[in-house]
Amino acid sequence: MRVLEPWVTAPLTEFLRESSARLALVMTSSGQVIAQHGFTRSVDVMSAAALGAGILATTTEIATMVDAPAGFGAVVHQGAAQGIWLAGFDTPRGRWIGLVVFGPESTVGLVRMFFARFAEQVAAATPAVVPVRDVLAEGFERELDDSLRALFGSR
Amino acid sequence: MSIARWENALREVTRVPGVLGALIISADDGLVVAESSMDELATADVAALSAALILRASRCMSAMGKGAPGSVHLVGDAGALLAVAGPAPLWLVAVAHGDAELGRVRLLLRDFAVVLA
Repeated sequence: MRVLEPWVTAPLTEFLRESSARLALVMTSSGQVIAQHGFTRSVDVMSAAALGAGILATTTEIATMVDAPAGFGAVVHQGAAQGIWLAGFDTPRGRWIGLVVFGPESTVGLVRMFFARFAEQVAAATPAVVPVRDVLAEGFERELDDSLRALFGSR
Repeated sequence: MSIARWENALREVTRVPGVLGALIISADDGLVVAESSMDELATADVAALSAALILRASRCMSAMGKGAPGSVHLVGDAGALLAVAGPAPLWLVAVAHGDAELGRVRLLLRDFAVVLA
């Protein structure tokens, strides 16, 4: 597991243990990765994050079109061998998205239940918003490197 | 049989004193198909956890070479969960206090499972 925000570690660890999910990706609604488990290639993480955020944005628009302004709780794709759970949740840092891949050792119901707990725990553990710092050119590259190292290990 | 008739049958189970709720779940995905329960019972969570229990019980039976389970009974200090297999992948599940007439609940679930099939 790789996390960018340390307070996500404990809730995500519990979620993975309880739900038996194979892959998990936590990101902001714009697709910025917060944490990931199970992905081995950074390119897969970036692609999945972008696609997941796009799918959820699309369904939110469809919800508006069909007069369901509250949106849909989750998007689920159930395959023969694997399923995907994609859902947004609110945190003090804004709306985040969880993308979960699960196999026959789990079920949609289990993922739904433990994802709801995960979202509650993350919201409760998220520290107060810190003031936005100016992004300086000399610090930007180092911070980007640090983030990538945290998510994908030493490169 | 329609969902409305299923819910009527489930209400018959919940009328047994001490029964908190009865539901039909899909064991494949751990979701509620039909339900009749007290407000205090988190039926979606019951469905998810019951399906996980049924899955593990099935693996256990299979490992012992005893076929598929027809029912799963989990009895705790303060209550019980009874699950009876219906037509796959459906299962009938009831959650009850410890002092409920579990034998009667079991019979009702079995009768209902036959009707479902």
